[in-house]
Parts: sequence; structure tokens; C-alpha cells
Amino acid sequence: MDRALFAAASGMAAQQRNLDTIADGLANSDVAGFKGSVETFGELVAPGDRGLGTVALGARIRFEQGKLAKSGGPFDLAIDGPGFFTVTDAAGRRSYTRDGAFARAADGALRNAAGLRLQGVTMPNDALSATVGEDGTIRATFASGTRAIGRVGVVEFPSPENLRSIGGATFQATPAAGRPREVALGTPDGPKLRFGMLERSNVSIVDAMMQILTAQRAYEANAKGVQAADEMLRIANNLQRG
Amino acid sequence: MDGIAWAASAMTAARTRLEIATENLANVSTGGFRVVRGRGTLGPTGVAIRRERTNAQGSVRWTGGEFDLALVGRGAFRVRDAHGRVVTSRDGAFARAADGTLRDRQGRVLLGVSGALRVPAGARIDDGGRVVRDGRVLDRMTLPSGTSLRAGFLEDSGVDAIAQMVDVLTAERSFESAQKVVSAIDRTREKSASDVARVK
Repeated sequence: MDRALFAAASGMAAQQRNLDTIADGLANSDVAGFKGSVETFGELVAPGDRGLGTVALGARIRFEQGKLAKSGGPFDLAIDGPGFFTVTDAAGRRSYTRDGAFARAADGALRNAAGLRLQGVTMPNDALSATVGEDGTIRATFASGTRAIGRVGVVEFPSPENLRSIGGATFQATPAAGRPREVALGTPDGPKLRFGMLERSNVSIVDAMMQILTAQRAYEANAKGVQAADEMLRIANNLQRG
Repeated sequence: MDGIAWAASAMTAARTRLEIATENLANVSTGGFRVVRGRGTLGPTGVAIRRERTNAQGSVRWTGGEFDLALVGRGAFRVRDAHGRVVTSRDGAFARAADGTLRDRQGRVLLGVSGALRVPAGARIDDGGRVVRDGRVLDRMTLPSGTSLRAGFLEDSGVDAIAQMVDVLTAERSFESAQKVVSAIDRTREKSASDVARVK
């Protein structure tokens, strides 16, 4: 096995993965509540500290808070702090999201753009409008007055990095992420709900562009390494001809 | 040793230099990576290259991750892999698992003074490597004196891509020159074998 060729090729493959991860973040940078990822790399070492190159270990999700922005949606919610909304799909399967752009459907359910239903909330047919407090309480306005009709819950995981991303800002629970736990909303330094706001994705386009440039140059440098290793093999093969 | 053997050892040395440079280049994005340097020595069997790990600190970058840990100074994290082996690593990109232990991307568990380091909810890691909650120290890891820990930062790879690219070129040219020497000696021998001793 040609070690130089292998090491340089492993670098190219890892940077390719890195570019994929950055591109995924860029593509989703407009999705409300989206969390960007960074690729991580590990050194490949054979016994005796003989380096063999690198390997891409997979993307790490970064859960840093995205910026909150006022939005025009009728039932837009943003989580200010850690946690997720619990949503269910048509088959009743649970998933967890930070995308809070909900809208009221004809059956009284609140669904986001992906068609996922906010769990535990049904708007009464005769409710004219509703607001949500920082602690999650939903207050609906009826022709006869205003009253509380339920709560929007937020859950947290012991190890959110181990959640499985199923596209956009939506995740599925895994055994490694632990059991979801209800978060107390509205305490002075705890997480709060913001009604009429949406959380922007935490991907910075400028950062992503810089990462693309860096990854591209790293890819090129490794490609030059492959060329150099190949050139040496060519020279060695032509030794006899001088 | 004859001339061809010397030149051949120079070719092997250039080859090893290229291996080291490509290995460093491949790890240009590997967090906490320590650059490998090739040191040439002249011995009775020609030129030999010895691999050496440098100890230079990589630049430390703010990431904001709660369990992104960067070591400033000497030392390394002690981690236990899936086979139970304890190894050291400078890669401080950890995430908390559901049981409160910290694991890196390779699934290795960060070790404290007594087994796996545990970080319960609400606790954080201070710059002395202690796990602190409400002013009480719950667990800690051992750091060499003078080394501090920064939570929320990661150490970048120590590789300088430009220096490594220069090494790739140097190795390539040095391989070429050694090959020219081999060819030149070969031509001389060919001459003495086929021309000098020719019987007319």
C-alpha cells in the first residue's frame, strides 16, 4: 500500500464530506429553527504511531440559539432557550422540532410547514384568535371573552447531540439521547416561549462561505499530495530509461 | 556502500518525507492534531528519516459548545475507547451522553481522577478541569501544572498547509535528483561494461 497516496486520498475524501456538511447547512439556512452542523475529523494511526491520514467522523449538530425575529404568521412560536416542541405526523409518530411556524388547520390542529402537528393542542372551532404566553399558556378569544384553553409544552433531552436529524429542523428520539423531559417554561432564567416570533437558523452564511473556501483549498492541497505521490511512482517506474 | 545504494537511500528518504507531508496535509482540519516532522540522519546505511511528533500548541478557537474543551499548555485528555484501552488525545470536541459522561466523536469516554468524568445537569467545567455545580466540586480531571482548560473553545489542527505544500514539492524534487544520480551512475557502469572492455 502506498502510504503517501493513501494519506492524501483520505484527506480528499474527508474534505469532500466536510463540503457536503457545509452545503447542507447553507441549503437549510432559511429554515426556521434549523441547527447547523460541523464535520469532525479524526487522525488514522497504525500501531507504532504510523500515521495513515484522516477520516471524517461525522457531523456534530450545534444547538446554539438562533436569532429570534418578529414574523407575520398567525401562530408563530419560538423557543428562547434550549428545548423542542413535540410534534406528531399523520401516523401519530412523535418527533421533535424547533420550527415553530404553526398554522391553524380546519380540524383545529396546529401544523407547521412540514405538516407536523403540535402535540396536545386543539383550537376550539369558535375561537376567533389566540395568543401564547411566555409560560406556554394558550389564551383564546371567543365572542364571549378570553379564556385559557391549554398549554404548549417544551421538552429537553439529556443528550440532544445524539438525536437523529430527519430533515430540516426536525429530530427523532434515540436511546442514546435519553428520555425527553418536560421543561418548566417562563421562570426568570429558564427557557421562554415567544409568540409572534420565529427562531432563525443558526447557520451564518458568511461563516459557511469561509468554511467552503477553507475546505476547497484543503481539498486541493491533498489533491497535490496525490499528484506528487503519483509522480514519484512514475519516476521510479522509469528508472531504467533514465 | 556504493553510489547507487546511497542514491537509493536518498530516494527512500524523499519518499518518507512525502508520506509525512501528505499525512500532515490530510489532517489539516483534525482538531488537536499534532504535526509530525521528519528528521534526517546520516548513518552507515545512508539517509534515514525519523518521525517525530511536535508539541506545538494549535490555535484555540471559540465555538460556544458547552463541552468543547481546549487544553492550553502541555498534556492531553485521557479517554477510554470501546475496547477498554486508555489513550490520550488532544481532541476536545465532547458531547454529554444521557448518563452524564462526556464522549468524543469516536465514542471514547473522557476520564477523570476516578473513572469516567461525570457532568450532571446544571454543572459546568472550569479552567482547572473541575466539574462544578453551585460552587461545589463534583469531579475533576488531572491536568499538568501550568496547563489550563477552556470550555467553549476547541484547539485547531497544528498543521500549516503552506509549509506542508512546500515539503511536498521539496520531497518530489529531491526524489527526482536522487533518481538522476542513480541514472548517471548506471550509465557510467553501462559504459564500462559495454564500451571499455569491448573486444574488436
